[in-house]
Amino acid sequence: MTHALLAATPLWMPSAADLQRLGPLWSLAGTIVAVLFAALLVGRNYRVAGAIATLGGVFTATLCWRGITGGAVPFAGLAPEAAAPMLVVDQFSCFFIFLISVFLVLVTGMWFMGLDAGVPDEAARRRDAVEFFVLFVGSAFGMALMVSTSNLLMIILAVESASLPSYGLAGFRKKHRPAAEASLKYILFGAVTSAISVYGASLLYGQFHTLDLMKISTAIGSQGISVLTGVGLFAFLIGVAFKVSAVPFHFWCPDVFEGASIEITTWLSVASKAAGLGLMLRIMWLLSCTVQSADAMRWVAHAVAIMAAITCTVGNFSAFRQTNLKRLLAFSSIAHAGYMLMAVSIIWQPRESAAGMPHPASSAVIAYMIVYLLMNLAAFGVVAMVYWSTGRETMDAFNGLGWRNPLLGVVMATCLFSLVGLPPLGGFITKYYLLIALYDASLIWLIFVAVFNTLLSLYYYARIAYAMYFVQSDEAPVRAPAMGQFAVLMCAAAIVLSGTFYAGKLKSFSDQRSRDMYGAMQPTGLRVAERPTADSMH
Amino acid sequence: MEHILTWLIFLPLIGMVAVLIAPSSMARGIAWMTTFITFLVSCTMFGPFLPGGAAWTGDGYGKAMQFVHQTPWIHVGNFHINWHVGLDGLSFPLIILTTLITWLSAWASWNFDHWTNNKGAKGFFALFLLLETGVLGTFASLDFFLFYIFWEVMLLPMYFLIGVWGGPRKEYAAIKFFLYTLAGSVLMLVALIAMYFASGTAMGDPGNSTFNIIDYAINAKIHDYFNDTTTKFLGWTFGRAMFVMLFIGFMIKVPLFPTHTWLPDAHVEAPTPISMILAGVLLKLGAYGFLRVCYPIFPEAGKWAAYAVATLGVINIVYGAFCCLAQTDFKRLVAYSSISHMGYVVLGTAIMTDVGFQGAMFQILAHGVSSPMCFFLVGVIYDRAHHRDLNRFGGLWLAMPKYGSLATLGFFASLGLPALCGFIGEIWVLLGTFNAGFPWAKPMAVIAAFGAILTAAYILWMIQRVYLGKKQEQYADFPDVTARETAILIPMAALAIFMGVLPKYTFDLMNGTLSDIIKVIQGS
Repeated sequence: MTHALLAATPLWMPSAADLQRLGPLWSLAGTIVAVLFAALLVGRNYRVAGAIATLGGVFTATLCWRGITGGAVPFAGLAPEAAAPMLVVDQFSCFFIFLISVFLVLVTGMWFMGLDAGVPDEAARRRDAVEFFVLFVGSAFGMALMVSTSNLLMIILAVESASLPSYGLAGFRKKHRPAAEASLKYILFGAVTSAISVYGASLLYGQFHTLDLMKISTAIGSQGISVLTGVGLFAFLIGVAFKVSAVPFHFWCPDVFEGASIEITTWLSVASKAAGLGLMLRIMWLLSCTVQSADAMRWVAHAVAIMAAITCTVGNFSAFRQTNLKRLLAFSSIAHAGYMLMAVSIIWQPRESAAGMPHPASSAVIAYMIVYLLMNLAAFGVVAMVYWSTGRETMDAFNGLGWRNPLLGVVMATCLFSLVGLPPLGGFITKYYLLIALYDASLIWLIFVAVFNTLLSLYYYARIAYAMYFVQSDEAPVRAPAMGQFAVLMCAAAIVLSGTFYAGKLKSFSDQRSRDMYGAMQPTGLRVAERPTADSMH
Repeated sequence: MEHILTWLIFLPLIGMVAVLIAPSSMARGIAWMTTFITFLVSCTMFGPFLPGGAAWTGDGYGKAMQFVHQTPWIHVGNFHINWHVGLDGLSFPLIILTTLITWLSAWASWNFDHWTNNKGAKGFFALFLLLETGVLGTFASLDFFLFYIFWEVMLLPMYFLIGVWGGPRKEYAAIKFFLYTLAGSVLMLVALIAMYFASGTAMGDPGNSTFNIIDYAINAKIHDYFNDTTTKFLGWTFGRAMFVMLFIGFMIKVPLFPTHTWLPDAHVEAPTPISMILAGVLLKLGAYGFLRVCYPIFPEAGKWAAYAVATLGVINIVYGAFCCLAQTDFKRLVAYSSISHMGYVVLGTAIMTDVGFQGAMFQILAHGVSSPMCFFLVGVIYDRAHHRDLNRFGGLWLAMPKYGSLATLGFFASLGLPALCGFIGEIWVLLGTFNAGFPWAKPMAVIAAFGAILTAAYILWMIQRVYLGKKQEQYADFPDVTARETAILIPMAALAIFMGVLPKYTFDLMNGTLSDIIKVIQGS
């Protein structure tokens, strides 16, 4: 079998234009190499390593932004046949890579701030900065790969190359026992889920003789979903579910978030989820790319919807009794992954019309992702600054924060209530877009699950607000770096603005990204006319 | 001043920014000035609502909306969310009530440093002003999405105002208030989304979906679709499902039995000015929601649910009054009396007649005047005695003659003594119920009237325990009401008398709009 496949494949070299289109990926890969080589040239200099990572991030982001706004970045395939590409860098992946690399820069900034603010293991941090940044950018590279492929094998490779550096990052504080434990749990979980994922991919390959999602989808469309296909799909999706920490593959998440240093927690909470959800969106979208396959995928999508409902309910309930802020926010991030998965579960429903209306679900995920990035960055930023000042990450470190540092208190309160989803904050408007998409897809029970969860989540988010404002504390004021305070303040301002003046802008921006997804992921060989439309499904 | 209403809504927000910038010692002054200016601005808007004014024509619901400001806010794809505010006879009296009561409570907060050790004056007054923006916005919104946003904007300030500056069990009270209200609002959110899409379906084009509250009621296509019993939502009749979800959202705010339990806690723990706003303004939002959203848009469901709603109203009246009889905490008693009085509003709304609506609306305003007055009166004595135990008071009238007189006036207004404001609303509701076409209406009117006896009982008993009797040693040297306290009480006392003696002028403000709403209901 393998032999025959190899024989059928002619010797092939990508064209220069193809390589150029992979710019964002080259840029991230180049950054890793540059960090390593710089260490050879100038020695272990944390400033140089960090600067290169920042520059690499900025450069990648610029490339991606040009890719997003440039309009004409078509479907690019790094493979012998353009119809079954290994790598896809389109506007959709450009957007996610943009998000990831911007976040890379921001977290690098946070890392530097931590050095000045006096983290406990400062010396070790400076010493190991080179390794840190190699792993850090490496995981970013893996995540960028995750959102730029539609090939089963490449997906598995991408997930692995995002996970492996993350394991290292989680356990980077070698002398810190919880970190080692977290890293081990992460590895075990990652290993098991990726093994299952590979198994699922092998089942799918055995059945359809292809690794390309589009072809699998067409085949599913014509043959329907057999039990074997179903098992294969589910097994395969488990690898992705692990990345977005969907229940029941979430157990690593709280331990890793608690054990890892706070920059890494911040990084994983947003970037890893963004990449996972981007990938999930693409998989679900491609698998339902014809009328027949969309119909066949209905059941898989329902399973995802149920998983989403369970994910956010479990996440919210588990957060109730947490006293460690990082752990609490870990469960909160699980819950938010659940909300976003809800939208992913309706992507199979065709919503395309002649007017080029974007799919409300993907648009909702994108808007949610943007605001979620801001909320988590600011919330973790505040937790970090409190940690740097007090050395504690527990709830009692937050007692009276509203009086000990009013600015941090206000920012944190804004983030928390935005995470709950209260108007007029960004968290509400994005949740609203999500609910609208669910309603549009007639998943009203899921709307009730979502709003019920909103209510649940209020309780534990309000507990933090309670500690910050209602509990008296005579501890010293929290001193925080001015840059850090400014940064989180900007995030909070952006959260407020995205819920008020720029709510429409946010929507039209994410609509445009969603439209890109339609335009760019247009399967080769399938014309727009053959794509399912809303009418053809009813 | 074309957009005077928008300015009115955001005036407090401007004040809030000023409070945050200015030094802490100036916070209360800025808040006082801001609320006063807001009150004055709202008073300049009286013109069209007076008899013969532009809003008074009564030529159809929503036709004579005043000070309308409509401009796109989120217009993307199929989304049409507008900044759409306007006033009619239903919302304008409530706007005036809000600006007045908020101004008076800003004044009541003048001795802020006295009861809080001056902790966080900036925060208190900033949130206070944010709250006013939220309330004004909710009353003025004609776009349902905007209505929801403002509705929720009120939550956070209230949570912090009770939780940070409240009494001993403030944390419990604050989170309870928050959770209850949010539970209602998430249901409202679901209804809001469903109604938006349904309006598009009714119009035959998703591009025509609307959040316009007035259109929901008067656009024939939408109105018919919403009230058609064959329209389904999750297997339920659409209109009824929406009505129930919205009703639960609003009833928590009213609050209606059995969702009322947050109110006594919130009131007892909240500082006096916040209690004034809570009782005088925030409770009215629920009732306003019934009159603005539930009944004009879903009259079919309103008729279907009339019996249940009226029963809840009567339970509120009687149960609230019985609870009052059992209280020993002064403030708790006034809080339960609010529950009892809001029962009349619900009963008057439930029967869906002209007289019922007028009575309900009058009761809203009357209670909006009398209950802040009662809460302030309790606050006055709490400032001096530092306890609120009814059984430990006595003979206060002798110690503080001016206070005693004003207090008796305030509590009699709440009791519903003829010639004071409480009487008119109650009697209108009872008359309306008695004459309503429902077979169950007469017994309900009788039971509700029985509630009035209980009201008299608990108020008179309370007055007897607190104000009458022998002069007590420990209260003998209490200073009488200060000039500031008198100044706060006088406007409310004057209004209570004015509304009771000359109810015509109050009815004139709102009757046109209310009969328009009744026409919408009957027309369906």
